[in-house]
Order: sequence, then structure tokens, then C-alpha cells
Amino acid sequence: MKDLLLEAFGWLAYLERPQVLLQLTLVLAAIVLQRQGRRQRWWPKRPRWLASILGAALLLALCGGLAALGWAYGLALLLGELWLGWIGLQWLVLWLARWLPQDRLHQLSTRLLKPGYLLAATLLVVEELDSLRDLAVIPVGQLLGVSVALGKVFNAVLVVYLVLVGCGPPAAGLAWLVQRAVGISDSSRKAIELMLRYLVVGLGLIGVAFHLGLNATALIAVAGGLSVGLGFGIKEVFSNFVSGLWLLFEGSVRPGEVLMLDGDPCEVRKLGLRATLLWRDRDNAELLIPNQTFFTEAATTFTASDRMRRSQVNVSAAYHHDPAAVIALLEATALTVPRVLPAPAPKGLLLNYGDSAIQYALRFWISNPMDNVSICSDVNQAIWTAFQREGIEIPFPQQVQYTIATQPKQSGNASRPAAQT
Amino acid sequence: MPQRPVQPATRRRNRAAALSLVLIALAAAGCSRRGELPNVLYVSIGSYSEKSIDTDLIEGFRKRLGGLEYGYRELHPATRFQFTVDPEADLVSIMRRRTRAGLGPDLLVVNGDTSRQLLEAGVSDPYPADAARLASLHPSDAQRLSDRHGRLSGLPLLVQTQLACYNRSRLPTAPANLNELLKAGARRHPLGLTTELGELFWTAGSLGAIDGLAQALAGRQPSTQQRQGIQNWLTWLQEANNQMWVTFFGSQSSMDNEFVAGRLDWMPCRSTSVPTLRKRLGNNLGVAPLPSGPSGPASPINRLRVLVLGKNSSAQGRRRALAFGHYALNPLSQRTLTVGSQTVLPANRYVTVPIGSSATLRAMATAAHDGLQANPIIRLVHTSDPRIPAVQTVLTGVVFGELAPRSATTQLIRALRPQR
Repeated sequence: MKDLLLEAFGWLAYLERPQVLLQLTLVLAAIVLQRQGRRQRWWPKRPRWLASILGAALLLALCGGLAALGWAYGLALLLGELWLGWIGLQWLVLWLARWLPQDRLHQLSTRLLKPGYLLAATLLVVEELDSLRDLAVIPVGQLLGVSVALGKVFNAVLVVYLVLVGCGPPAAGLAWLVQRAVGISDSSRKAIELMLRYLVVGLGLIGVAFHLGLNATALIAVAGGLSVGLGFGIKEVFSNFVSGLWLLFEGSVRPGEVLMLDGDPCEVRKLGLRATLLWRDRDNAELLIPNQTFFTEAATTFTASDRMRRSQVNVSAAYHHDPAAVIALLEATALTVPRVLPAPAPKGLLLNYGDSAIQYALRFWISNPMDNVSICSDVNQAIWTAFQREGIEIPFPQQVQYTIATQPKQSGNASRPAAQT
Repeated sequence: MPQRPVQPATRRRNRAAALSLVLIALAAAGCSRRGELPNVLYVSIGSYSEKSIDTDLIEGFRKRLGGLEYGYRELHPATRFQFTVDPEADLVSIMRRRTRAGLGPDLLVVNGDTSRQLLEAGVSDPYPADAARLASLHPSDAQRLSDRHGRLSGLPLLVQTQLACYNRSRLPTAPANLNELLKAGARRHPLGLTTELGELFWTAGSLGAIDGLAQALAGRQPSTQQRQGIQNWLTWLQEANNQMWVTFFGSQSSMDNEFVAGRLDWMPCRSTSVPTLRKRLGNNLGVAPLPSGPSGPASPINRLRVLVLGKNSSAQGRRRALAFGHYALNPLSQRTLTVGSQTVLPANRYVTVPIGSSATLRAMATAAHDGLQANPIIRLVHTSDPRIPAVQTVLTGVVFGELAPRSATTQLIRALRPQR
């Protein structure tokens, strides 16, 4: 590490050279000029990127001037090209916005495109100042008795990052192909995608370990040490990770499944290494539940064998209506609501005889458990309309009050002195 | 019209840019004062090895120059050396790019002919050698390093020679001539040679092909005798490959690997490889001059490593580079370099090599002397000359029996003619 710092410190000595100073001054001047230009009165009508392009073009023109004079210009040219490249990258992101959803584009831009560009730009500048090949062989330390060079560490970090960030789309594509070929459900596709990602990440980590030159014996020794550490320090983390894998293989908690949590149906959005992300429709909340919760506690699911849910609404009708007619009307009404499934057929039930009305229940089936509340609302509205149309009364609670004619009898011991008792 | 209010973030960024400008201006103003910036001498080392640049290679270079660096820093303690290693074959294009950016090295350590290429390409400055310094060089070296305008492309630093390496546990003595070499092969000692022109050229001297090749390179027709010399050389190469125990390798590094693995008993080697080979073979490694032949001693192409001045140095950087060059060529430094490394010979001709105390140095001194006969050839053709690949093709064809020596001689002479 000391060698690397000394090497980087040594680059400062380039500032001793007038040609380098001149180029850096021109680069900064172009940046300041484009920023100042953007603040002028006549500028606001024009887009910001135009100022950046003009700034970069000015810098390239200055490079042309330096070249014509026979002076060094390569560093300024490189920085100008990188500037233009950055503007181009922003255009690319805008262009991709036509094809990709906002969240996917944001991920792609912030996790892959921009970091990738900045990394490439840094490497290009370093290559201009030094030799990447030489920097790559600088030893940075020992790992499990193996001397590790900077280049290997850099490659290892890069590969791990790319595997973590970049294995998503290929895994999704492969899972989609499997779904098309075999005809599995959406949740199974998502489970396969996740398992593929774990597999690629696992293989990537093993590959990186071998790239670093770590021998298998050392890795096994590390695994032995880790198992002790797992027992004490990171038990919960490991438990959640294993629970997540188990649930994935078991298929009970997969992305797209609907689980009941505290009485609310929630959809599984993502099964992470530590926790599961659920979405609650009621308030659009996202809930992070540790994986081991589902592993150790009972859970209600609506999507284990199929995605249908049986719903129910309760309604009352006056005593003078024929229950058979009311039940028939309820069943017929349910069938008119678009998202109520015709089969299994809706079922009306007389539940009990209440104080003011006969209480009925209407049970029906829906295909998406998450739509339960809105479909119940639709069914209730349809029942109200049907009852209005058919003259069926939904009675208010009725209470008969009687006025008592005689005065209440005076209590005999009310006037008795307390002392006489 | 009222001014648009400036956002605080924008104001901060503008201030940062202005501050950077001021810092650069201050640096520019202050760089002439001592102690403001690190005192660095940027040195680029040309790697001629065909193998990739790795830690061992860089460490090897640093070790060789380490003695000089240490000594120089005794005199100039504030100076730091920053090394980069670049492949010699790409050095001209790399230096073009770095010089264009103003970030070229202050000093380069390269082969003699690369130094001439760099000067011709305009990416290095001629070395300002005074009469005293020129006098300390071998006249042939100074001539070899001068361009057509008489400018010295670099200052000779050291000489790396080509030797014969052998496994003493199997081959007690090194073959002194080509006859003994083939006899050793007949006695089932596996021998190695490479098909690379530069590494195989030593056989040309032993077999009397040098004069004919020099004639052809100069654009003149070789005499019948000279032509016969070339044909003898090619014939011997073809016959050598027909020997069961002689193997031709595509590269020196693959041959080195076979040697350290114990599958070869004898091979030509570079003096700079001796420490690596000794690390593997220990005292079993024997080092000797390359075998002579019926026409005279071998003609190894010894590498003359020279110091070349970069174009982008500041005034202080140039002073440091010249001071280092001056220090590196002084007899004491040259002797230390030679005795300390045992892999190179001094370029300063007034330095006596203690050949009596080391068989390796003795073999190297012989190789350096024998290699002088290759200088006329080296002056006429450099490593990136377009004629080299054509000659290499003919040579490979002969070695592997695709071309008869007689017709190959004609083709070789044609290929060596200067191109217009």
C-alpha cells in the first residue's frame, strides 16, 4: 500500500512541468467559462447540455491551438473527450428512458453506466500519468499467506461488483426462457431467477478467490473459523440467509406470493439475503420482514396451490322478505360484478335472525387476493342497487319504547334514618 | 431585467473551480522553488521480454537499477525514482502518446536501436555528450547510437550479453564449438535453440555468414564466398534440426522453462536470465561463451542498454536526468553495477571487469568481445525494420525443412536488400 501511495504522490511532480500546468489551466478555464456563460441573461432559454457541449468544444479547440503551436495537448484533449463522453452518456440515459421503465433505468444508470464510465475515465487518466500494468503488480498485502497485487484486488472487486449488479438481467432472461419452455408460474420464474443469481454470485466469489490465488485448504480453514464466528456473532444474519434459501426452494415465500400479515394481504416483492420485502396494498407500505419469521412462524397464504380467494360480504334484509328470494337475488347480483368469478358459483347464506333483520352472507370467489377489498366494495354497491330495484329493505335497528303510566313506587327505607337500620 | 439568482450549489462549484485555478497558478509560481513538489525522476524501462510484464520482471529491473538508484540518492537524497516498465516493441507509440500529453518520462532505459528509433520519431532528445564522455565509450557503440545527423540517441549504460547455459549435473563441460555441440546431441544430451532471428544470430558468426549478410543489408551483391558462408549457415541450422536431440523453440522463454524443468542440458541464454536460472538450478548451472565454429567465434547480439532523454522534462527534471546519466557512467558506478549484479557489463570502456574472480563475468566479457562483429549488422537494421519479418520467415522455413538452403540463400539475400 505504501508503494501505491508513493506512486500516486509522485504524480504531483508533473505539476513541475509548464506544459502540464498550461493544459490543466485551460481545462479549468473552459469549465469556469461554461458555468459563467450559463448564468448570463441570454442563456436561460437554452438547455444546460448545450453549455456543456460548448465548453467541451471550446476545450477541444484550445487543444487544436496547442497542437498547432507544437505544444503538448494530449492531457487536455483526453479530459475534453471524457467531458464529451459524459454528456453522451447522459443522452444515452435519456434515449433509454423511451424503452426502459423508470426504476430499471435508474438502477442501470446509477449502478452500471455512470460508475462504469467514471471508472473507465479514471483508468484512462491514470494510464496517461503512469502505467496501469506497473500499478497492477504493486503488492498491497498478504491474504492467507498469498501475496496479493493491486491489479488482482481491483479485478476481484470489479468482478464481484459486476456479478452482484450485472447478473440480474441475464438471470431474468434465462428464467423467462425456462418459463416459456416448461410453462411454470410467474412466482416460480422469479424463484428461478433468484436462485440463478445466487448461483452466479456464489460461483463469482469462488472464482475471485481462485483468481486471488487463495488455495482451497486456506479457504476451508477460513470456512471453519467462520462457522465458529457464525455461532456467536452473526447467527441472525446467517439464520436469515439460510431461511431465505430454504423458503425459496420450498416455494412458500416467493416473489408474487400473497401472504396475510396482521390481517392484511401483502404481496411478496423480493426475497433478499436477510429479509423479505412485502407490499401492503392498504397503505402502499413496504414491509421488511426477516426471513426467519416465515421459517419459524405460521403464515397464511392465498397463493400456495392457486391464486383464488373466497370473499364474503354480509348484508341484512327485513323480515317480511322471502329469504329464498333474497338469496337468489344476492347470488345473481354477485355474478354481475366483473371481477367475481362465475365458478365456483357465488353462494348466498342465511346466517341468523337478528333483532331488526335477517342477516345474510354472500360468498364469492375472486382471482386476485390483493383485490379483495375493492371487489367487496363493488359487490356491496351492486347489492344496494339490486335491493333498491327489487324493493328489498335493509332495515335500521328497531327499538320500541313504552311509557310507564304509574309513578314509580317510593322506596320504603329511603326516609328511614340510617341510625335505625 | 433583474439578474437570475445564483443557486448556492452553483456558487460553491464556481468557487471550487476558481480555487483550483488559483492553486494551479500557485503551483506554477512555486514549482521553481525547492521543496514545493516531490523531487521525482520519471524513468521508463523498455522491456524486451516477450513474456508479460509481471512482478518478477519489474522486480528484476528494479534490482538491476537499484544499486545505481541507491548510490545516486546518497548524493541527492531528496530525489525519488518513479519507474514504469513498457514493452520495447510498443515504446515508440507509447512515448508518442505520453509526450503529446506532456507526461513523458525524464529518462528512458532502452536498447540501443530503440534509442535511435525514439530519436528518429521525435519523442526523445539527443544526448548532449561532451568529448570526455564520448571518449569513455567504445567507438563502435557511439557509432551504433548515432543517427545520420551525428546526434547521439542515448548514453550507453550497460551491456547484456548472450551466453551458453548448461546443466553441469548432466553435461560436465560446455561445448566449445559447434562440432562438440552436435556431438553432445549425439550422446543424447537434449539441446535447445530458438527460431528467433535475434537469438539465433550467434551461429552466423561461427559459420561465416556475417560478411555476406552485411553486404546484402547494404544493398550490395555478396561475393560467391560470402554467399557460400550464408548457405553454410542455413545448412547447419537445417541439419541441427534434423538431430533427434536438438529442439528448436518458438521463444526464449519457453526454452528457459524447459531448461529449468530439467528437459534440456544446454541452451543459449541471456545474461539477465542467469539469476533466475541459478535460483532454480543452484550450483548445477554452468555459464560459458557460445560455441565457436569453423569460421570463427560466435556472434551474439548483445544488448546495449542506453539512457535516453525524454522530451517533456522540466528544467529541473532535465538537470536530474543528466546528473543521473553522469553518475551512472562514472567508473565506480559502472564497476559496482557489474560486480553487484553479475548480469551486465559496463558500457564505460575504462572500467576493468574482474574476469578472474567470476566464470560468469569471464564468459560475458568473451561474449561482449565476440559480439562486436555483429555491430555492422545492427547498425544497418533495427528491430522494427520491415525486413526482419521476411528474414524470419525464410529462417523458419529453412529450420523446419520447407526451404532448401540453396534457394533459401537467394531468398534471404533478396529479403535483406534495402527497401525503397
